[in-house]
Amino acid sequence: MGSNKSLSRRVFLKAAGGVVGASGALAVGSNLLRSLLQENDGPVYLRTSQEEEIISTVCLLCPSGCGMLGRVADGNLVKLEGNPMHPINLGALCPKGQAAPELLYNPDRLTGPLKKIGSRDSGEWEPITWDDAIRVVAGKLTQLRENGQPERAAILYGETRGQMRQFLERFMASIGSPNVISHDSLNIEAAKLGTLFTQGIYDLPVYDLENSNYILSFGANLLEAGRTPQRMVSGHSYLRQGRAVRGKVILIDPRQGITGGKADEWIPIKPGTDAALALGIAHVIIRTGRFDTDFVHNYSFGFDDFVGEDRTLHKGFKSYVLENYDPERVEMITGVPATTITRIAGEFSGNPPAIAVLPGKGGLLNGNLNGMSAAMAILSLNALVGSLETPGGVLTQRYVTCPDWPEMPNDDVAERGRQQERADGAGTLFPLGNHAYQAVADRVLDGYPIEALFLYDANPIYEAPGGGRFKDAFEKIPFIVSFATFLDESANYADLILPEPTFLERWQDDYIEGLGYPGVGLRQPVVEPLFDTMNTGDFLIRVTKEIGGSVSKAFPWDNYKSLLQERLSNIGTGWETLQELGVWLIPGYHFSRRGSERWVDEVVGKDRKKSPRDGRFDFYSRELYCLLEEKNDDLLAAMGAGVSGDELFLPHYEAVVYQGDEKEFPFVLNVVTLMSLGPYSYAANMPSLQEISGMVVGERWGSWMEMNDEYAHKLGFHDKDQVWIESPFGRLQTKLRLVKGMREDIVNIPHNQGHTAIGRWAKDRGVNGLEILNPASEPFTGLASYTNTRVKVYKA
Amino acid sequence: MTKWSMVIDLDKCVACQGCSMACRFENNTPVVSPDEAALGRSIFWNDVFPLRSEEESAIASGQAKFLTRPCMHCEDPPCTKVCPVGATYQDTEGIVRQNYTRCIGCRLCTVACPYGVRYFNWYEPTWEESLERHLTPDQIEGRAVSEGPSIRPKGVVEKCTFCVHRLFKERDRAAAEEREFRTEDFVPACVQTCTAKSRYFGDLDNPNSTVSQLAQSRRAFRLLEEAGTHPKIIYLHEG
Amino acid sequence: MVRQRTFHPENVHEESILAPIYKISSKDLLLWSGLLIILGVGAYAYFQQLISGLGVTGMNRPIYWGVYITNFVFFIGLAHSGTFISAILRLAGAEWRKPLTRAAEAITLFSLPFAVASIVADMGRPELVLNMVIYGRFQSPLIWDITAVSLYMFSSVVFFYLSLLPDIALIRDRITGIPKWQHRMYEILSLGWQGRSQQYHRLEKVLDWMAIFMTMLVVTVHTVVSWVFGMTIQPGWHTALIGPFFLLGAIYSGTAAVVIVLAILRRVYQMEEALPIDLFNSLRKLLIVFSLGWIYMMIAEFLTIFYGNIPEEMEVFWQKFTGDFSVIFWGMTILVFIIPLFILIVKGKNNIRWMVIAGVLINIGMWLERYVVIVPTETRPRLLYELAQGVYRPTWVEWAITLALFAGMILLYAIFTRFFPIIPLWETAESLEEDEQKVATRRQRIFGQRIQSRIKKEHDHANQ
Repeated sequence: MGSNKSLSRRVFLKAAGGVVGASGALAVGSNLLRSLLQENDGPVYLRTSQEEEIISTVCLLCPSGCGMLGRVADGNLVKLEGNPMHPINLGALCPKGQAAPELLYNPDRLTGPLKKIGSRDSGEWEPITWDDAIRVVAGKLTQLRENGQPERAAILYGETRGQMRQFLERFMASIGSPNVISHDSLNIEAAKLGTLFTQGIYDLPVYDLENSNYILSFGANLLEAGRTPQRMVSGHSYLRQGRAVRGKVILIDPRQGITGGKADEWIPIKPGTDAALALGIAHVIIRTGRFDTDFVHNYSFGFDDFVGEDRTLHKGFKSYVLENYDPERVEMITGVPATTITRIAGEFSGNPPAIAVLPGKGGLLNGNLNGMSAAMAILSLNALVGSLETPGGVLTQRYVTCPDWPEMPNDDVAERGRQQERADGAGTLFPLGNHAYQAVADRVLDGYPIEALFLYDANPIYEAPGGGRFKDAFEKIPFIVSFATFLDESANYADLILPEPTFLERWQDDYIEGLGYPGVGLRQPVVEPLFDTMNTGDFLIRVTKEIGGSVSKAFPWDNYKSLLQERLSNIGTGWETLQELGVWLIPGYHFSRRGSERWVDEVVGKDRKKSPRDGRFDFYSRELYCLLEEKNDDLLAAMGAGVSGDELFLPHYEAVVYQGDEKEFPFVLNVVTLMSLGPYSYAANMPSLQEISGMVVGERWGSWMEMNDEYAHKLGFHDKDQVWIESPFGRLQTKLRLVKGMREDIVNIPHNQGHTAIGRWAKDRGVNGLEILNPASEPFTGLASYTNTRVKVYKA
Repeated sequence: MTKWSMVIDLDKCVACQGCSMACRFENNTPVVSPDEAALGRSIFWNDVFPLRSEEESAIASGQAKFLTRPCMHCEDPPCTKVCPVGATYQDTEGIVRQNYTRCIGCRLCTVACPYGVRYFNWYEPTWEESLERHLTPDQIEGRAVSEGPSIRPKGVVEKCTFCVHRLFKERDRAAAEEREFRTEDFVPACVQTCTAKSRYFGDLDNPNSTVSQLAQSRRAFRLLEEAGTHPKIIYLHEG
Repeated sequence: MVRQRTFHPENVHEESILAPIYKISSKDLLLWSGLLIILGVGAYAYFQQLISGLGVTGMNRPIYWGVYITNFVFFIGLAHSGTFISAILRLAGAEWRKPLTRAAEAITLFSLPFAVASIVADMGRPELVLNMVIYGRFQSPLIWDITAVSLYMFSSVVFFYLSLLPDIALIRDRITGIPKWQHRMYEILSLGWQGRSQQYHRLEKVLDWMAIFMTMLVVTVHTVVSWVFGMTIQPGWHTALIGPFFLLGAIYSGTAAVVIVLAILRRVYQMEEALPIDLFNSLRKLLIVFSLGWIYMMIAEFLTIFYGNIPEEMEVFWQKFTGDFSVIFWGMTILVFIIPLFILIVKGKNNIRWMVIAGVLINIGMWLERYVVIVPTETRPRLLYELAQGVYRPTWVEWAITLALFAGMILLYAIFTRFFPIIPLWETAESLEEDEQKVATRRQRIFGQRIQSRIKKEHDHANQ
């Protein structure tokens, strides 16, 4: 027994040794094999392109206009970096800018001019030469002019950069049409009108975030969307960590989003009640006497009650607000606790410089005067605390000075045409409006004769609320030309498609907006145009030459580039430097003293047409009074004004008139723009952007609808359910995603999905929330109704 | 010795995903189809995502805090330890690199990495038609070596390399200009593009560098510090 | 060539044991071709995977490992049956094991190649499999695995072959009426075995030595397999218990597999006498012990996690207990433990059918157990965030390859039983004698005496 045991122990040890030995042998063998098979490690080196150059340009995937440096390797654009010289982005680029090579090399781009064969919706095209296209377009316009109906030509435009807006206006003016219709009524027009009717500047306010201590954002999704998200992000960074004292950011919005998530405080507010909250804050500030008395008494109008030229006593802002907007009442309207209102008012007035920020797209376009009035109320807060034209406050955008446009040649036909009513009804049907893009469909269907329609960066079928009506309207327009780069929804209905190259292949200038001081950026071809495309500017100049006469005299340039060279000859540097740097600016914002000459000329009152340009900020809008004075109260009420008398000209709150009964349609639909896909249709066909599109909820390549999670559970919904969203105007099916950061009474659908055209990656993916929005226009301003549509949600 | 490191200030970061895109175009990571993306097979060496709130499993778009996450380039990387063939390794300057030529696609490193920064090529990476033209020509090569933006074969693992090819390029440039290479010459693409200027890059061994200074901040923390991996990505808390 | 005299043990069951070798029936061909078809489908699936990439599987990020790795672990587990029965029980001197040693070892032998195949199927670049040898880094648990498994495979082949040697020689000499090539094959494989007592001595000695070696390997191999997971710091994997747990599970499922195989052999080849019911009763006792050991490990593992309540561990814990994997987890527990234990205790005694049912349930359950160890952890990685919460749905490719691996294993086994005795003639012959003597520890001496007395007898006979 014992011997047996000792034997087995010996055996065990031997065997154990064997295991170790075997492993060792394997290791040695492995090394041996390695040395046999692999010679000594060679050098590791970088292999790259043969030739390389860096070319500056300016991005156009959102309105920020960031400077870019393109790395062109062996003739291909392989990478873009932010241009460190450009003040908007300071060397940074957002995902859209980084992904821009996918726009340039997109396989779904139009490769040359096309002419429709057969009917409107045949979808069949044949190539046409540029010369023929010029002849066709010139022929059509000449015909209209010969018939004495040049106003029957119209252009709908989207994003125009630099000289392009004035260029288009000049082109249409030379033809003789007033119909140069901007898509501003879909987004920034409410804010611009609010600024005009108070400060007297028809432009967006500029915010000096870097030097501000307190940012009160009313529905402005600063960090994701808006007019200049990139500039806001840089400003936000500086405000947060770039200086000794960290500034505070408050977001007032029914949806939290990224901006609310990053903010120090998020105040969920009942949708469409921003005006009431702003006035509630004003109430507390006035009541506690914490306003800027110098500004209010010396540089504003209508703060106190006043006797007007009509010798009647008019109510001023102060007594109106004190009477009507005590925090308790505002709490009932907005759902924001009175204590919060009081606290925010204290913080806002007690942490100068403070800024109240206007929303860009969406937030204010409520479908009645409330939207514009909210803008006025928010701007009034800035005026109250004296933030206008102060460091850390609200600045006014200045632009580089360009030489005057050459005088328009005399042309009776054109002169008569220009006096005609606009196709969108701006200035007539919509007395306060400058543009009513979305209204064109109804106007055409109601009989306004458009015989030649140009679409420049315009895709109304997709981007206007209830844009489907444009399909019917287009049936009534005999000649439609689209300058689209992709075959988008609207281009599908065109007779001619004259593709413009992408922004990476064309000459175009760009005003630097969002910092206050003037500057320009220059877009130039980073690579030679890939396809048979033509800059729309070049095309239209050639059309004028074809038309000849006074029209061609109005355009004494060979091409758009030479026009740019002339227009930008006074900016303070030469063309070569601008081309090399991609940007030129006159940095440093020069503040003007209150009441000084520059104050009057540039900061307050500049763009008033009917009321005095006296350098006074209007708490009581005299411009509005003048524009509406001919209309009596009954007429105004018939147009949908919720208030009358002095209240109409003061910033006020009126309840949003919603489409859809609250009982049947419990949610307000909110279409939100994301950082990833941005506002422009063609970005939806960039696959990398699609892949990152829904990061906030973990979705990619598609749509979803956000709903408050607790409320959804109460209603029996689950995350990722397929649901129908139905408004009085239609319904859509998509995936439900439950989120925490939003009120119970709203639902959100991200913008820029649900295309039915454009290309392989954009088409038939997700839903377009705009389809089921109220297609009506606001009767005073002609603004699109963005946020007054109610919906119901049920499982699919 | 240089020890490359990155500091990311979450107070500034706005989750714009510019870093993700810059990385894609710098390093030639492919777009995957919608179906693939739904499976979680998207390749973003630098990913941005909402961090999960404490208890809730539902996504909280608003209340969620966002995180942007490149490779941590751990000082003690769990991934290089387990690689059976040495395809992934830490170079002398602390960058965790990946040699596509040697990788056998066993994915032990991908399951070993606690941060999920390693990506696998489930299919041959492809770019539709003309999109191929935007691919970066930069490739790190050598005998049986291909790294960085070099086009990957199917079946290998890839990951953030701190844009090591840019380091090569800057070294080459310094040599061509007959000057010393300076650490400031080199930044990865994500740092260069960061919209919120929330990223800092530099040498953690140099006590005067920005990253070293920021690493001393009271706001500084690292992901999964308890895992003992000693990441060289240093985050700064919000606030 | 003058043939030397050979000596073979006498075995009362020789006829029934050798019976399957005489003819290959049409049923065999049917089975084999069926299995070949499955293999073909699997090959097609693998071809698809090879051409397109691993994207054709359901694996994704972060679930980088799925069914293939589950198969790998499972096959390694199966492989433990043979070694356990023949090596560990040999060392323990459990004589009853003898009739089933070869059947069990064959499971080992034919499982291991498919374990390796599972790994190759899982590789993104199988063409570079040699890199593991060329550039192998010993710091990598995967290299430990490769080393351990290949060593195990090699030793198993040797161990198996050595114990087969006397029987090949016996067939060579005794079987007639088989094709020439088959006979030639036995001649070559028998290596001129003569059955002299010295040879038996050496053989026994070598087998004893190897049994020790194999016992160590058995522990090593499965522990090392588990270390591929255990050496990472992922919740649910990073536990010291994972090695012993894997090992016990392996032996458990391996033993259950032996039950199934034995029952089939007994039925199909009418070996009721050679494989008496007592064998099953012995295995039953083992299985009861293992099942209790398994539940002990389960409780030790999960109670520790639950009590510790570390958040990332709990994420995985709840995934298993109430989350996405709860059906598989509880199903597994029922299949591996609750039903088999009930069957084994209440129904199993003297009842082969119930034993087989238990064996099948245990093996299905063990496969699920491997799955539920590997996958849930991947769905809840340490750094928690929404996008990383994976869902894993294996595709037809993975199932086809999985089925093919099992079909391949069964095919090899089935073919083997038609060419070699699946019950060791020489070992059982000896043991029959020893049964009478009841002195297990002295078997060698007695065995030697028996052979020597026979040699003497024959020598005398020759002299006459």
